[in-house]
Amino acid sequence: MTNAVTVSFPAQTQYVSLARTMAAAMAVRADLPIDQLEDLRLAVDEAAAQVVLDAVPGSDVQCVFIESHGSLRIEVRGTTASGVVPATNTFSWTVLTALVDNVTASVNAGEVCLTLHVKRHEPVDA
Amino acid sequence: MSSVDTSPPGDERWGDEQRARERELLDVLASAPEESAEFAAAREELITMHLPLVHHIARRYRDRGENYDDLVQVGTIGLISSIDRFDIGRGLEFSTFATPTIVGEIKRHFRDRTTTIRLPRRLQELRGPVYVATEDLTGELHRSPTVREIADRVGISPEDVLEVLEAQSAYSAKSLDDDGDDDRGGVASTLGFEDPGMEEIEYRESLRPLLDKLPERERQIIMMRFFKNMSQSEIAEQVGISQMHVSRLLARALAELRAGLTAD
Repeated sequence: MTNAVTVSFPAQTQYVSLARTMAAAMAVRADLPIDQLEDLRLAVDEAAAQVVLDAVPGSDVQCVFIESHGSLRIEVRGTTASGVVPATNTFSWTVLTALVDNVTASVNAGEVCLTLHVKRHEPVDA
Repeated sequence: MSSVDTSPPGDERWGDEQRARERELLDVLASAPEESAEFAAAREELITMHLPLVHHIARRYRDRGENYDDLVQVGTIGLISSIDRFDIGRGLEFSTFATPTIVGEIKRHFRDRTTTIRLPRRLQELRGPVYVATEDLTGELHRSPTVREIADRVGISPEDVLEVLEAQSAYSAKSLDDDGDDDRGGVASTLGFEDPGMEEIEYRESLRPLLDKLPERERQIIMMRFFKNMSQSEIAEQVGISQMHVSRLLARALAELRAGLTAD
């Protein structure tokens, strides 16, 4: 079973905290240990900030959180002004890859999507 | 604009005489070599002379929950940077020039430090128990506990735990440098590694000076987390602080780095 939650907000930095808060709430649902939870919060913050900074003014950013069996997939989507796929040799990318298990970036028809995957590292007794 | 009263308020003696002195000092800054004693003395006197202006501006912000002395301190940073950037040739009154910079520093301080909502009493009371439970469980489980586990231990809801954690990570950053469990020298000296992986980072040119500006401990934690791929818990153990503390320092350092990288 999967559960998806979507948050949509104006592409402005002051809204990024919404994505961060939602990330933490979803991490609780996925029963992530708090160090992974805090990492995820930072990662979503970073990803959302990245998308916001390159967003077409006036556009919206969507964060889709998909939870299934102790793992989370988060898609951060926005309309890209540069049309360029985020580079992987930046500090921002280094931060993202360190914080989550897997991260990919793509651009399709003017929409950038950063996808973050995180899986509970250690088994947690129910 | 000359009709605007630009004298530092609170000092009635700020008359023609002082204005002339200000001009003299600014002339010294414009002409004397930067490393000369004369330059340093003039700069110093200008700073002292305009402190009432900083106080005046800081007072306007003092009812917003931040420590007044801190506001004066960041305002003074604005004053000093105004003195250093002032171009006498542009014919502006110095205080007209300095005021927006001082206000800017104070506002920036609010943005940086007080994204924190004041913690409701209920959450404040939960902070201690959540912290203790987190530390205990980390020891017992040999891993970072989940929110649910902490909630069970404390006997509160997972939502409350999350709120405490969240408030914690935004909690007034200024206390982090002096909250007792600090062992700055020790941390810095035990971690001698040389920036692994940094060469590949495109931003290294701009990142390096920003990293250098971070307090030593935050810089080390950034390096450990992102370039040595240590977990927050591992860092906590090595540095001798709590994982929650590591998390707060990371969040703050990243915010500072990002602000710096996107500033231009």
